[in-house]
Order: sequence, then structure tokens, then C-alpha cells
Amino acid sequence: MWAIVVKEFRQLRRDRRTVAMLFLLPFLFLIVFGYAASFDVKTVPTVVVGPLATTVAAHLPGQFDVVGVHPADGYTQAFNELRNGKAIIAIVTPASLDARNAQILIDGTELLAARTAITGFSQMKALSSGVPTINQGPGQAYYALKLPTLKVLFNPELRTSVIMIPGLCGIILVFVGTVATALGVVRERQAGTLEQLAVMPFRAWQVFLGKIAPYLLIAVIDMALIVGAGLLVFNVPFRGSVLTFALGALLFLFVTLGVGVLISTVSQTQGQAIQLSIMTLLPQILLSGLFFPLYSMAAGVRWISYVLPMTYFVKVARGVMVRGTPFVALWFPLSMLAVLGAVVFTLSVLRFRRDLAPAGAKDEDGADVAEASA
Amino acid sequence: MSVAAESDVSGAAAGGASGTSMHRAAGEWGVSGLTINYGRRPALVDVTLAVPGGAITAVVGSDGSGKTTLARALAGALKPSAGSVRRPASRRIGYVSAASGVYRDLTVDENLEFTGGAYGLRGAALRERAAQLLTRTRLTDAHDRLAGNLSGGMRQKLAFAMAVLHEPELLILDEPTTGVDPVSRAELWRLIAGAAAAGTGVLFATSYLDEAERASMVLVLNRGRELVGGDPAAIVAALPGAMFTVPVAGRRDGSGSEGDAAAEPGAAEAVLDGREAPYRWRRGADWRVWSPGGAPPAGGTAARVDLSDAVIVASLQAREGAA
Amino acid sequence: MTQSGEMPANGGGASRPASPAPPLVAVRAVTRRFGDFVAVDAADLTVGPGEVVGLLGANGAGKTTLIRLILGLLRPGNGRVRLFGEPPSRRTRRRLGYVPQGLGLWEDLTVTENLEFSADAFAVAAHSTRADAPAATRSARADASAADATARAYGGAEPLDADLRAARDQLVRDLPLGLRRRLAFAAALAHHPDLLVLDEPTSGVDPLARARLWDTIHATVEDGAGALVTTHYMDEAEQCDRLVVMAQGVVIAQGTMRAIIGAATAVEVEADHWEAAFAALDAAGLPLALAGRLLRVPGGDQARVRAALATGAVAARIRIVPATFEETFVTLATARQENS
Repeated sequence: MWAIVVKEFRQLRRDRRTVAMLFLLPFLFLIVFGYAASFDVKTVPTVVVGPLATTVAAHLPGQFDVVGVHPADGYTQAFNELRNGKAIIAIVTPASLDARNAQILIDGTELLAARTAITGFSQMKALSSGVPTINQGPGQAYYALKLPTLKVLFNPELRTSVIMIPGLCGIILVFVGTVATALGVVRERQAGTLEQLAVMPFRAWQVFLGKIAPYLLIAVIDMALIVGAGLLVFNVPFRGSVLTFALGALLFLFVTLGVGVLISTVSQTQGQAIQLSIMTLLPQILLSGLFFPLYSMAAGVRWISYVLPMTYFVKVARGVMVRGTPFVALWFPLSMLAVLGAVVFTLSVLRFRRDLAPAGAKDEDGADVAEASA
Repeated sequence: MSVAAESDVSGAAAGGASGTSMHRAAGEWGVSGLTINYGRRPALVDVTLAVPGGAITAVVGSDGSGKTTLARALAGALKPSAGSVRRPASRRIGYVSAASGVYRDLTVDENLEFTGGAYGLRGAALRERAAQLLTRTRLTDAHDRLAGNLSGGMRQKLAFAMAVLHEPELLILDEPTTGVDPVSRAELWRLIAGAAAAGTGVLFATSYLDEAERASMVLVLNRGRELVGGDPAAIVAALPGAMFTVPVAGRRDGSGSEGDAAAEPGAAEAVLDGREAPYRWRRGADWRVWSPGGAPPAGGTAARVDLSDAVIVASLQAREGAA
Repeated sequence: MTQSGEMPANGGGASRPASPAPPLVAVRAVTRRFGDFVAVDAADLTVGPGEVVGLLGANGAGKTTLIRLILGLLRPGNGRVRLFGEPPSRRTRRRLGYVPQGLGLWEDLTVTENLEFSADAFAVAAHSTRADAPAATRSARADASAADATARAYGGAEPLDADLRAARDQLVRDLPLGLRRRLAFAAALAHHPDLLVLDEPTSGVDPLARARLWDTIHATVEDGAGALVTTHYMDEAEQCDRLVVMAQGVVIAQGTMRAIIGAATAVEVEADHWEAAFAALDAAGLPLALAGRLLRVPGGDQARVRAALATGAVAARIRIVPATFEETFVTLATARQENS
């Protein structure tokens, strides 16, 4: 088996593209999820129009980034500003202080920003309801009342990176475990060397483990890199037990490797393997609760989530790293991973064996006779 | 580079006396002093070969010997670095690449229709010609099958049919029988001979000498250069010296009779060593030994020279010359 | 031609009365189906030490299935496959050297790395199974370390091995095909297998390289191994001691090339204008082949040839000549197809 591991590493070393994929991709994902793909909307570009524009603009809280104040214009101008993408919020102030409330326009295509704005305004409304007039200026009204005490646990700044980086470990494990493994095995099949391995005096499990061992190692390294970068660069906390996390990751890795080998046994070409890998990769990324909370999914879709190993890994990883969830509280996702791992891994070993060498060492006369009479 | 204009000289082919009306003008195609470089690497060096109409000309060589380059240059797909190519206009050429050029996701009919269309055949003329070729290649029953589902032999026959659909004057076949079994190969050879009998000039590339021996002219390429060339009989006759066979001691008798199968290791070397017979190679249970001076080796029996012997000797001499 | 029949259990070794060793390969009445398709139908095949057996057949004749049965990649439905007297297993695999048509080399490894890998594969196996391995004489040598095996692969007496040595640090994908074939041979021979299984062993190489590869095969066989070779080409068939011809899953002939040809003949036609003779014979629907400027009608009877030539008003000389092996093979295989 060692011979296969050595061979595999030698081949990997020459396959610059795969190596780049295996090591650069985690960093690319880190950058994307750590910096760019932030769901935290801090400021919303806003224009204020109408006679009272200047006054209102001056008193808007900080999350409204005032990009334009046009006291001479009205609704039409505000609409145009939104349509042209200049701003996401437009406030049309009334003609006089006695008139009705200001009209607020929100660009509904900017979901996250809009949501931030709506939250901000609902607070304003609640606050200002107790104030008879706004003669004192809107700003004073806010400060006149106190906010109820809010305490955000585990991720007080509501940073995206804190919740995404544990999930990112899962994506990388799927990538290395499923995509890279499937490609590695199919490449041998396409080159005809899998047959050569089959006629060499290896046992099927030796070939199997020899083929997946390097990917296992790479996955572990990748994960360590991501967790390390998460802790050091993005200040993601690691509050729980490293062992619990490692156990979850290992179980999950077995599932993904198993899926990779299974894909390789039903693919004739690398193209087919990639197609199938993507078909397993996408639902895991989208439906595992990594981006969209499970409780907001339609019931049917949620059941898909429940059979995806990633769902359970995300629970474990977020729980352990961010919330410091103890082992006992994670028994369910961990045992689901173990069950899925056992099923998928066993299936893949059996299929691989059948693919590789149907006549094993146990093939005595009895087996021949049994086959013949069957 | 000079490309001869399409010649349409009409004149009875040699066998015009027969009752067949298929004979057409026998063009004289070929290459002369052809050199082709891929970047700095020469793929062909100063190769001259006539590909007359009404005959089969074989190009023999290993993968990388330049035979595909020669085929493609004759087809007009490569520009000569030096030398000239005489070929008919490209729509009078039929070409089957080593990859056969059959669309695997189209049916047999659709493949023929597509190729016919490409050469301006359509309507009744195309249908008639396609039906005729399907009969000749015995693919009629397979006409609506996907080419990808055909056996290797059938696919090569389809490739042949596609290449001759427009009745080309020059037919270029790059390893048409690779991966084809002997039964299909016999059929394919018959089709190719039929094309030559009808006056087409055929260039045929292969890596096997037993195939090349069926051609009227043979060119053996070695690393882009001519190793030997000409009429196979003339190549054989031109080999100086003499050929011998020497039985291998201890080798089980090829006829299957009782022999001493428990060969002593090195028994063969005990009979012949390299100093005694530098030009030797195995054929079955015997050594074949070429003696440049004609002196028989120990235990040698005189043997008839064949094309394979002549080419191997030429290769060995070329190797010595290079060393 | 010797039709295969019931053979004693040690059929292939029969010519070695002094040794009770079983034949290297003994396939007895083996049938293998895939669904309704009978790929191999009651086939018998024996390969003994010191002989090269050629396996020929049209595509779909069952050659590949038979080879896979012998390699242990498939199990027979009926009948028995024995390698060195036992069913195919991991133990038999270590006494086997296999060069598939695609060569089975790792193209992104260097020459040395490929040799090291196969040496490791066989050496490791030797260590882990030594206790239960039979006292096989030749395979005892497979216990040598990987380094030894690699050294042996380079250290052969063949003058051409120098080329491989010079290319030892090159990636296989950068080697010319001839050298790749030689490397595949070196990798398959390094552990001194008792049985060589070679699938179209010399396709794509030039005549000299082909001769040299066959020199290697013969040298190995004279060292006591056996070889089973599949091929489509007569250049290779004539290298074999014995040939086994399959059609539609059935072994239709086996024996030496001479024995299989037997008394088969062909009609050779020499005409001033071969084109005209070809057209006449072609029109008559006779089996027909071109050989230089001569025409051959394998198995054809003179009368039909004469009649066809007369119909076409072609003047030609005809004579009866012994059939070639290829002609005999095609005649046999075609007859089989038409009968079923």
C-alpha cells in the first residue's frame, strides 16, 4: 500500500493544476468568505429630497450614508435616484412640518441593505411615536428614549466570517474528499492503469486506502490552514473542544471520500466525474444551512438537507468553534455523520472492490462452484 | 511548393479493355523532396514518393516516424518547409485520419449525408451513391445506427465510405486498419483494392509490414527519413548477403512434438552470440541471421529473404551509421 | 489443425514427463455470459512453460473476456480456470506479468518511478505472502528488493536497454511509443513472472523495435516462463509456437500455424491488368485480396475463378498456392459467422 501512496504523491507533485486547486482554493474561499462575501451591511447610501431635506439629513443616524440632499426636488427625483442606482434609500420629506409623515422609498433589489434600512426605520418609528411634534428635530427624539437592552451572544458584532469559516472547512472537505478523489481514481481508470493495479498482487483495500490516503492528508492540512487563518486573521473564536471538532471533521471526511470513490466507480471519464461531483457539491453548499437557515426552508427541501452530511458538519463546526457546544450536546449530528459515513464508505469499498478484482484471495474452488450453479 | 492543378486528362487506364466503366484517369500524385518541420523539429526530411492512380502505395513506420505527417501533407493540410506536393484539388481528395473522423453521435446515414453535403452532393445523387456504398461496405443493415455504437471494423468501413463518397482521385488512409480485426480488415482491404482498381491513387499508412506487402509500392520511414522504398519484391531482391535460420537449442519444437521444454537459461546464446552474428533477431522458435558476406553461421540453414528481413537489416544498418 | 478436446489435468505439461508441474494456464470448458450474450463458450486453452501461445480472433470473438478470466478480473460462469494449478488469486497475480494494449504505465511518473512502483508492488506482495506461497522456483526470485528489481530491469543484456537508462528521469508521457513499450515490458518482467500476458504487444512500433521486443519475449520464455499473446497481425502470429483461434466465443482452431493452415489453398491470379481481373472477380462475389499486383482468392475453387474471369473477358494465369494463415483465419471465422 505504501507503494501506492508514494506513487500518488509523485503524481500529485507533477499535477500542478490539481495541487494549485487543492491548496489555493481554500485561500480563495477564505478571502471570498472572509472579506468580500460579507452579509454585514454597515451603511446604506441614502438621498433626501423635499423642503425639509437638509434638516432630516442632518439628523439621520450613522447607518444612513447620505449621498445626496436635494431640497428643491420631490418624489420623481427620488425615484430616479433609486432607479439609476445612485442610492438604495430615498427619503421624501413633507412640504411642511405640519404635514403628514415623510415618504421613504427603498430599493427592493438590494435585499440585505433594504432589510437593514427597514430595521433602522422601524426603530425610528417606534421611538418617534411618543413624540408629539418633530419641531425639536428628529435627532433629539431618538435620544430622548432608551433602547431596550439587547445582548448578542457568541458573535456580538454579527460578523459573517465568524459563522462562515467553520462552514468553509466543510466546503473544502467536500472539495478535496469528493472532487479530487473522484478525479484521481477516474484518471487511473481512463489511463487503463487501474486494471494494471488490479492484476498486481495488491489487495483491494490496499489500493483503496493507497488511493485515498493522500487526499485524506491534504484535506487535513487544508482544514488546519483554514482554521488557523480563521483564528489568526479573522479572529474567529474557537471556544469548544478541538477533539470534538476533529471527530466531526474526520467522520465528515469519510463520507466525502466515500462519495468521491462512489462517483469514480460510476464515471468513465473525468468530465462525468466532475459533473457528478458538482451535483453533490451544490446542494451541500446551498441546503446545508451554511447560507440559508434550515428553519426558513420549505419542508420538502428541508428533508433534503437532513440527508446531506454537510448539514450535520455545519452544526458541529459552528457549535464547537463559535458557541463552544460541548460534545454531549452534539451527539445527534455526530451520530448522523457516523451513520452516513459507515453507509457511504462501506458502499464505496464494496463497489470499488467489485470494480477492481472480483476474484479475491478467498476465491477457492467452492466459490467457483457456487458461481457456476448460481 | 507547387501544387499541380487538377488534372482531368482522359485516357484509358491500363485495364480499360475490361467491361467496367469505372476506370478514370490515372493521376500521378505524390511528394518530392518533401521536408516538413514542426517548429525546429524536422518531421519529414527530403522524402520523395509517387502515388500513382490505380495503385496502392504503402507508407510504413512507427508512431512518430512521420507517416501521418506525410499523409497530411499530401492531403494539403500541412505546408511543406521544402519540396513539393502534387495533389488534385482538395475536393477531389478523400482522407481518413487515424482518428477516422466519423461523428460518433450521428447515425451512419447522417454521417454520409453530412460528408456528401460537404462535397456538394445532395438529393437523389447522394442517396444513390450512399446506398451503393452501404451495400459495398455491407453497412446497409446498420444505416440508422449511431456510429459510436458500431464495432471498430464497421466504423472504419463507414470512414472509408465517407472518404470515397465523392469519388476522389486520391484517397489517403492513415492507419485505417488499426484496431480492426482480420475479418473486417480483409473487407477493408478489398474495398481499398476496389478503389485502386477503379483508378484512384491510394496512399495507405500502417505500422505493419505484412499489410504493406499487399501494396505495389512501399516506403518505409524511420524518424522522418526514407529507410527503404520501392516495389516490395525489388526491396527484397536488393538485399545483399544472405539470410539464414538457426534453430534455438532447447526451444520446444514449434510443431508441438515432444521437445525439451526445460530450456537451459542462456541456451540460445550458446548457439549464437553477438560477435558471431551481429544481425540476428528472433522469429518464432528460430533465429534469423543475416550474413552480409553470405557466409552461413554455425547451424544455419539458408532462408528466403522477405520484406520484414530487408527492413530490419536496413534499420540495423541505419542505426550503425548513426552511431 | 488440432481441435481442443478433453485433456488430462496437466495437459500443457504433458511434454515434460519428468516434471509433475501443472501447466501455467489451464482453461477448461469455460463459459462466461454477460446477460444473454455468451462471450466465451466452453473454451479450452493451455499455456505451458517454454511456449508462446497466440490468441487470435475477430473483435467480439471473446479474446478479451478470456484474457480477463485468466487474469482473474472476471470469474467464469462454468468451467475452471487454473493458473499454476490454482484458481486465480492474489497469489497467482504475483507470478504474472501483464502488458495491456494501453501499456498500463503511469504517464505522469518517470521511467524510474514506474519501475520502482511495479517492483514495490511485487516485492511487497512477496513479503506479505511468503509464508503461504508455494515453493515456486522462479517466483522465489521475486522476493528481491525494489532496488534490485529496478537494477535488473536496466541491467539486462539487451543492447537497447541503454535507451531506457538514458531516459530514466523523463516522464513517460514524453517518451516515444517504442520506448514506452520497452518500459512496459521491463516493468512486467522485473519480478521474473512465470506467465506473461501480452495484449497486442508490439502495435505502433517499427519493424526493428518489433523484432527486439520479440527477442525479449523469446528470451523470457526460454528462461522457463510461458507467454499468452493476443494479436490481429500476422507479423506477430508467426512468432508464436501455437495459436488459438476464437470466433463468437468458441475456440475454432488451435495448433501451430502450419497445422491450422493445413491443406488450405488459395487461387493466385496473375493478370496483365490486375484492375480488370479484380473487377471481374469482385463482380462474381468471390473472396478476394490484392497482394502487390497479384490477386488471391482464398479457399476459392479454380472453376469459379476461371468462370468469373471468362465472364469479364480477362486473360489471366491462375495457379493454386498454399493459403496464408491470415486467409485461413478469415475463412474459418467467416464460415463460423455464416453457420450461426
